[in-house]
Amino acid sequence: MTLGIDPDELAACVQCGLCLTHCPTFRVTGDESQSPRGRIALMRAVDNDGAPLTPEIVEALDGCVVCRGCETACPSGVHYGHLIERTREALADAHRTTPWWERAGLEALAHPRLLRAGSAVLAGAQRFGLVPRRLGLPRIPLRSAPLQASGDDVYLFTGCVMDAWQRDVHRHGQAVLEAAGAGVTPTGDRVPCCGALHSHAGLGDRARALARRAIAELPGDRPILVDSAGCGAALKDYGHLLGTPEARAFSARVFDITEWVAGRMDRLVGSLPDAQPKPLDLRVAVQDPCHLRHVQRAHLPVRQVLAPFVRELVELDDDGLCCGAGGAYFVVQPELARRIRERKIGYIERAKADVVASANPGCGMHLGAGGVPTVHPMTLVARALGRA
Amino acid sequence: MSGPPAAPAALAALAAEVGAEGPVAAEGRRTRWDVGGALADGTRLVRAPSGILEHKPEEMTVRVLAGTPVDELHAELGARGQRTGLPRRGGTVGGALAVGESDVAVLGRGRVRDTLLQVRYVAADGAVVQGGGPTVKNVTGFDLPRLIVGSLGTLGILGEVILRTNPIPASSRWVTSASVDPFAVLDLVRGASCVLWDGTRTLVELEGHGADVDANLRALERVGEWGEASGPPPLPPHRWSMPPAGLRTLDREALGDWVASIGVGTVWASRPQPPAEVPAPLAALAQRVKDGFDPTGRLAPGRSVWRRAA
Amino acid sequence: MGVLRGAFGRRRSQPVLPQDPVVAELVDALAPDRVRMDSAERALFAHDASVFTGGVSGPVCFVTSAAEVQAVMRIAIRHDRAIVPRGAGTGLAGGAIPLGAPIVVSTIKMNRVLEVDTVDRVAWVEPGVVNLDLTRYLRPLGYHFAPDPSSQQACTIGGNVANNSGGPHCLAYGVTSNHVVAIDVVLPSGELVTLGGVDAEPDGYDLRGAFVGGEGTLGIATRIGVRITPNPPVVRTMLVSFDSAEVAASMVGDVIAAGIVPAAMEMMDREITRAVENFVHAGYPLDAGAVLLVEVDGQDEGTRLDMERITEIAHADGARSCRLAADEEERALLWKGRKGAFGAVAQIAPAYYLHDTVVPRAALADVLRAVYEIGARHDLPVVNVFHAGDGNLHPLLLFDPREPGIMERVHEAGKDIVEVSLAAGGTLSGEHGIGVEKRDYMSMMFSDVDLEHQNRLRRAFDPACRANPGKVLPASHSCADIQALRQVPTGVWA
Repeated sequence: MTLGIDPDELAACVQCGLCLTHCPTFRVTGDESQSPRGRIALMRAVDNDGAPLTPEIVEALDGCVVCRGCETACPSGVHYGHLIERTREALADAHRTTPWWERAGLEALAHPRLLRAGSAVLAGAQRFGLVPRRLGLPRIPLRSAPLQASGDDVYLFTGCVMDAWQRDVHRHGQAVLEAAGAGVTPTGDRVPCCGALHSHAGLGDRARALARRAIAELPGDRPILVDSAGCGAALKDYGHLLGTPEARAFSARVFDITEWVAGRMDRLVGSLPDAQPKPLDLRVAVQDPCHLRHVQRAHLPVRQVLAPFVRELVELDDDGLCCGAGGAYFVVQPELARRIRERKIGYIERAKADVVASANPGCGMHLGAGGVPTVHPMTLVARALGRA
Repeated sequence: MSGPPAAPAALAALAAEVGAEGPVAAEGRRTRWDVGGALADGTRLVRAPSGILEHKPEEMTVRVLAGTPVDELHAELGARGQRTGLPRRGGTVGGALAVGESDVAVLGRGRVRDTLLQVRYVAADGAVVQGGGPTVKNVTGFDLPRLIVGSLGTLGILGEVILRTNPIPASSRWVTSASVDPFAVLDLVRGASCVLWDGTRTLVELEGHGADVDANLRALERVGEWGEASGPPPLPPHRWSMPPAGLRTLDREALGDWVASIGVGTVWASRPQPPAEVPAPLAALAQRVKDGFDPTGRLAPGRSVWRRAA
Repeated sequence: MGVLRGAFGRRRSQPVLPQDPVVAELVDALAPDRVRMDSAERALFAHDASVFTGGVSGPVCFVTSAAEVQAVMRIAIRHDRAIVPRGAGTGLAGGAIPLGAPIVVSTIKMNRVLEVDTVDRVAWVEPGVVNLDLTRYLRPLGYHFAPDPSSQQACTIGGNVANNSGGPHCLAYGVTSNHVVAIDVVLPSGELVTLGGVDAEPDGYDLRGAFVGGEGTLGIATRIGVRITPNPPVVRTMLVSFDSAEVAASMVGDVIAAGIVPAAMEMMDREITRAVENFVHAGYPLDAGAVLLVEVDGQDEGTRLDMERITEIAHADGARSCRLAADEEERALLWKGRKGAFGAVAQIAPAYYLHDTVVPRAALADVLRAVYEIGARHDLPVVNVFHAGDGNLHPLLLFDPREPGIMERVHEAGKDIVEVSLAAGGTLSGEHGIGVEKRDYMSMMFSDVDLEHQNRLRRAFDPACRANPGKVLPASHSCADIQALRQVPTGVWA
């Protein structure tokens, strides 16, 4: 079989290897087959040279976190994300990857009531100590009050797992937006899921169906703000995923919540007594989610947003290397994910921070399970504003 | 297609003189003649030709014959604002390279081993061999120049070399202090070409733009009193090689009179450095090098590159 | 490029099989998960960052200690197999390409910084430490590792030692050889020796110096003592633009002749400047014939005076404009243009062949002109972005790898560039090394006698020609007789 990758995109890699150290799986394994350069060479071997899809090749292609850190490092501008998503889709279609239980789990994401019911069971099980800690799940709330619309300036995209498990982060994000003077409409069950995880798992048809639904449910030109970097990246990629003018127009309306707030800092700060923020007494390390830094390339605004509201911001000196969460990666590749996280934690410890701010719930959960106190930047800002 | 530029006739004459048989060694000005031990009796002495062939200031290179006195070379280069990393002690270019010891102000002038870019030497079989390349930057092939520097004439007899030159800084100043921790100097200033310490006095050579030298002196004066000095003190005859950090814990008894080069690790002492064991695999490797370049052992017999071997 | 075709095709006929006793012994000596025999991994290790194919990898070993390297070496000796050391595989001359199905020894997992001594100003590192990781590690201490090859984000210190790597800043600071004080080496005999030392003038031959640049043919470095360099207090960067590359080239020599050794002097020609500006928007002049990025570092007053003098020289030489970076942000922007050059090339051609020769500064203008003519003659667009300060040319030949017969033309043009560089009094390579790329050009620079002496050095380290056979020296002077190399043609490229 072939993977059916666009030959032009496949030819763009010149094997220089500058991506290697920006790849979390290469960093922890040292295996060329667990690097972007190696994976592209294997894709070429399959597509151009008719190499058989051996278990080793499937394992190599399956080991990718899809953090896309290699894309920012690539001097030749290779669209690695496109290559790996196309590959994953071909492998899934051929039933070479993505087991039934993963497909079933992903299916649930598109059904909010099912997801909430499942989450409630999980939350109960947690209370009785039935869920192993090593799974890295956060403490899931038993109940959480629904979000209420406060106006129609912007949409706040609430998504699937995050809405079920971390609705408070949405609440904090909404509070910050309102403090900056915006009326907010949470999207809620109208748009059950962005489809990012389906895309990563190679379930392209499901991902495209979810994209079409989101576009249909959120017409008009209101900005769509997202507080989960993974969802934001997926929504911003609808233009490429569907290839329609409508989808491109939709994607152009999508912003990470920090991008949008950063453009309204004067109003946010101006809303405070004497326009004086009261910073939280915390040294905060900024962890850039890959889908914010490498995919959306919008990781700088979070610093601008956080700076007035905490005592000290500190950078991690690891060039934004992935933490290993990778959407559902830490569930399907627990061993690699754990080794990648250990590396990340080493850098976090060197930064000597009180808390880590991460704008992606998956990263937060994964790091939290590794013993790192992690919060969403919107939660910190809401706290400093006295709204959380 | 271009081949390597031809060696001058003087080099061919040296090669003919070296020939292919009988023990032979090069003689310069004998400033470090005893290093590595005495030559075997009956060793024929030859002299490398002398002369500066080409100085290219814009390339930072000079092509020179090995018998040229270093002082003469530096006088010529100095007239055009440059110098080399060869030591100022009165010997020849070839002698300085064969011995391989750096100048006292090595921090400012660079190491001898980093100075040699291209070498032409007469091999044990009388052939002229070229190693390295004519440009400041070059990674073509195995690095024969590194191997030749410090080899005491045991691998080949130096005939002609291309050296890296460097600009002479605009300003230079020696200062001395009896109240300053010598180990603090290099952290206080950038642009110290030399920091010497004899147990009581610290001597520093500051080089660079005049304003930078003045600024460095002011930085030094913040930690102690300094006076002018005319240059380095007289250096005792024996040269010890130590790690820079080892200078903090010198065994003063063993040294006798001494002057230490801070940040470098060289100590000039009135007593010789105690010998040290050479690990057997390393000695064997070095012997294989020697045997490869000089299968009959005719080059500088009696001299050992293990100057401090037990 | 059909890069894998050769390796995958040949794999079926190559001699190593998983049940090979060599593999069992390697697994015993290391660990099952650190010896890879599967076709995918081995096909990948048949390549590095060069365009050369024809490599065939035997078992791939991931070593973690000197003792393991010794064990692998002894297994290789017992079975009369060759070994090829490998770092990140970012070399451009094919130095890490395994010829004749040797055991590939990857040092990538030996990646610890062992010790940093700021009094000795030495850092002890394992060979798999990434160049930029070391500099990043040293940053809080106020030091850096001076060699900064363009691949520094990925290449390893072990690879830097093997290739004697340079980079933009080696004009003032020197190449890797100037920054390595000592190396623990596992010799091809399996013995472990320390070459050089932290002391001022280590005894014996400078075998440390001989080992650096040996391209893996002299043994495997397992621990490296490198000099660490204090970060300069002041750095000033200026962009100078010219009507032509010739004028820019003459300014380079004039600056050096004036007694200034800048930290870096990087040149970009018209085409690359335009491509870079459209790609990264660093504010480079779109209509310039060439630009020079000049950097000086040191102390406040001296660097200011140097920059003033350089500006005078630039204007005297006919520069169109000089733009001194006002702050760190602008400085970073100017460098962003230079560092984004290869990415910019990717926007104008699907692939490029990056060449590397050195010429005297005085010959830069003439050689550049000849390089453009060579490109035109072979119908290959050429752009130039290079370390002008030390005359280190990096012509990029642009091509589409899917065009039939293109690589022959690219290699022909490459050979012509080598010829004009040597004719101008230059050298074959400034920093990429010889590998398989320029092995057969060595006799253009050296006589048979010269090469025979280089081979004597090689054989003193490796009498059996076990380490990385088929590299650096042309076949008539190298270890072409080794068993493994007879089985597979060497130096074959697609």
